[in-house]
Amino acid sequence: MTDELRLTGITKGYLGVQALKGVDLTVKHGTIHALAGQNGAGKSTLIKIISGAETPDGGTMYLGGEQKKFREPIDAQNAGIHTIYQELSLVPSLSVAENIFLGQLPKRGRTAVDWGTMQSGARAALDRVGFDLDVRRPVGSFSVAQQQAVELAKALHKDARLLLLDEPTSTLPLPDVERLFTVLRSVAEQGVTLLYISHRMDELYSLCHEVTVLRDGRKTAEFDTTTSTASEVVTAMVGKSLQGSIADAALRGERSPRLGSGHTAEVLMAVAGLGEDERVEDVSFELRKGEVLGISGLIGSGQSELAGLLAGARRKSTGTIKLDNKAVVFKNPRDAIRRGIGLLPQDRKAEGFIPDMGVAGNITLASLPMFSRLSVIDSRAEKKVATQMVERLGMKVSSVNQPMKTLSGGTQQKGILARWLARSSRLLICDEPTRGVDVGAKEDMYELIRDFARSGGTVIISSSEITEAMMCDRVLVMARGRVVAEFEHDDIDPQGHALISEFA
Amino acid sequence: MTNNTLTGPPRSQSPQAPDARPATTALDVVKRLLPKSYLLLVLLAIIIIGYYVSPDFLTARNAQNVIAAASITAVLAIGQFFVILTGGIDLSVGSTLAMSTVIIALTLQSGMNAGLATGVTLAACAFAGLINGVLIVWLRIPPFIATLAMMSAIKGFSYIIQSTSLIQITNQAFINAFSSGSWLWVRNPVAIFIVVAVVAALVAKFTTFGRSLYAIGGNPEAARLSGLPVARNLLITYTLSGFLAGLAGLIAAAQLQQGSSLIGVGYELDAIAAVVVGGASLMGGKGDPISAVIGVFVLATIINIMNLVGISSEPQLVIKGAVIIIAVFLSSAGGVQRISSFFSSHFGRSRSAATAH
Repeated sequence: MTDELRLTGITKGYLGVQALKGVDLTVKHGTIHALAGQNGAGKSTLIKIISGAETPDGGTMYLGGEQKKFREPIDAQNAGIHTIYQELSLVPSLSVAENIFLGQLPKRGRTAVDWGTMQSGARAALDRVGFDLDVRRPVGSFSVAQQQAVELAKALHKDARLLLLDEPTSTLPLPDVERLFTVLRSVAEQGVTLLYISHRMDELYSLCHEVTVLRDGRKTAEFDTTTSTASEVVTAMVGKSLQGSIADAALRGERSPRLGSGHTAEVLMAVAGLGEDERVEDVSFELRKGEVLGISGLIGSGQSELAGLLAGARRKSTGTIKLDNKAVVFKNPRDAIRRGIGLLPQDRKAEGFIPDMGVAGNITLASLPMFSRLSVIDSRAEKKVATQMVERLGMKVSSVNQPMKTLSGGTQQKGILARWLARSSRLLICDEPTRGVDVGAKEDMYELIRDFARSGGTVIISSSEITEAMMCDRVLVMARGRVVAEFEHDDIDPQGHALISEFA
Repeated sequence: MTNNTLTGPPRSQSPQAPDARPATTALDVVKRLLPKSYLLLVLLAIIIIGYYVSPDFLTARNAQNVIAAASITAVLAIGQFFVILTGGIDLSVGSTLAMSTVIIALTLQSGMNAGLATGVTLAACAFAGLINGVLIVWLRIPPFIATLAMMSAIKGFSYIIQSTSLIQITNQAFINAFSSGSWLWVRNPVAIFIVVAVVAALVAKFTTFGRSLYAIGGNPEAARLSGLPVARNLLITYTLSGFLAGLAGLIAAAQLQQGSSLIGVGYELDAIAAVVVGGASLMGGKGDPISAVIGVFVLATIINIMNLVGISSEPQLVIKGAVIIIAVFLSSAGGVQRISSFFSSHFGRSRSAATAH
């Protein structure tokens, strides 16, 4: 078999951050090739470069043996490279036929659109992906799976030779996933090459021929799916972060990796059959006072949604939550906050802080009534507490009035933590607490969580980082919205293989 | 609850000393204050220009006229400011102002006592604002659309209840209270707007309500996740905007001594313009009520000068548009910083005053 796509030494940096540090990738003609890696490993940057949305700083790219340089996405498309993103790029109000022919509508005369040719062409294109839809209906009236088929048909109609698929199944119900796979296999048999990105290991292994694993902007491994296992891929994906981390230090006996200091027998929260549509299904567990509970899984396994449900940020569709042995219903975050629950959201910028507001204002945001009398804010009390927090958490700020948006990621995260400390929260729910935080601040965050647990607080850490999960007293592993395994801290081997094998 | 927080010992690792600033020179102080006080400087500059171009400008009589004329827009702009602070907009305030004049005229005509009539009018206008809030919070209609629809509905409602072309107001007690009377040598409409502005400034800066509006406008999701009463405060804000539009309507009715649904056309745009000239961002989360009031005076003073020197009303509109663009460029678009960094990079040694770490 010939190589359809070959990349050598691709590099790309953004404002001092090296996203790709010399990536080699070879995809054989007519195969389905998977690209795997954690968030930030460089997958999306690589996809952008192949599809012409970004230009690489260095390295070369060959398509069908010919060297290519793309300046714009249109260059890549003209060369036969088409991308199907998570968010579909169809025009919902236009008909299926118009979408497939968008940009090259067949004409009759100078201006009139040749509808007959267009519709029969659209039907033929859909036939190639095994779908039979009414091509005159607007795209928006079809299901996500059908829209994906339209998108595929559109790409094939434009003579795609290489299709880039970025997590196409993330929004699909299970039966449709099977159907999509059937289509993708037949597309590959028609001689089109597919580069497939997904976090779901079972998918990679049922669909793809080969897997390339990226980590920290480099290719770390390549597997043939017939002769390897999913856990080898996961190991290659996550293997990095042990080095230099607390877990690493602990392995060498330098420092206790545990965040928790041992829990009491008292149950703080009991969750039974908790679910939210298809994102979280039938989750049950008991959380004891003083415990640090990890909820782990590959990205998109439902751990983040579960964290949101427990903090009242999302609405459950099934199940019950008991707090102190009393059933509670969180209609909004306010209900949860009132009962002593604080959430450190995953997306700090979008959900965590008020950008133009000062550090002090952000810290007291959830406890304003405590700093006010007759709803007039006591600025001195506010400033005093904010100053204490800044000192206690080691936040690098020039003053407590410094706008939050001017701080580093780690300092912002500490500010949000301070918000819940100021509120005297007793249960802290951290969703990816160290994402986008530099190494030093990361260790600080762990130390702060440890302090919190030591003084009697309870913590839930939702994380896709294996080392973080390994520091918890107990770990629930999630996959496809369900809890698939549970480990006590001491039962996890130093390399975390026990967890990894459940991830897949 | 575990009290694990406020009493804990400070962590051994102390915060790194904030970057040592070089000794502050007068220039640095100016540089730091310039973006904040530029509006006052602009107003001052306009006043100086007015002084040179027209001998009638800097007279007590003219100043009184400007302030009296501006007080209606100022009251409107303060209500509009709070709405814009939350990231919303209220296009219905001009119509609400007109409705206010009609209701006060009708109730006074029917022989109602002035105090009660005032109360009824303000309540009706606040209710119109509340409907805006309900449409936005519960029906989740975007503020622009909801208040645009209400602008039309309120105007139609005013026409219907008015039934004749305009209604004269003859109640001297009312006219006295909202227009001709004075309190401590300050004319009543001016006193009203000063009281409203001061209260608004205090509310914005020192109350939990004001703080939460900044949070809602700055990042609605973070505000929700921090447990702030977002829905309740939005309802209050739109109700307040309706109430203040009603108050502005009372001043207008007393000045004109009539009620008519034709009053107040385009006032909502004047109020919005004043708020953005005052440095607020239509994205929400920025600005303060006093700056919005200064914004009103910047625009009002320019109009006044143009009237004095005899520029006709059409070129006035063009100049007003230009002033809005310049003012917004200088404040919201960071024009002051951009210009000053342009000058410092071209003409001065690069003395970086960056505060980011």
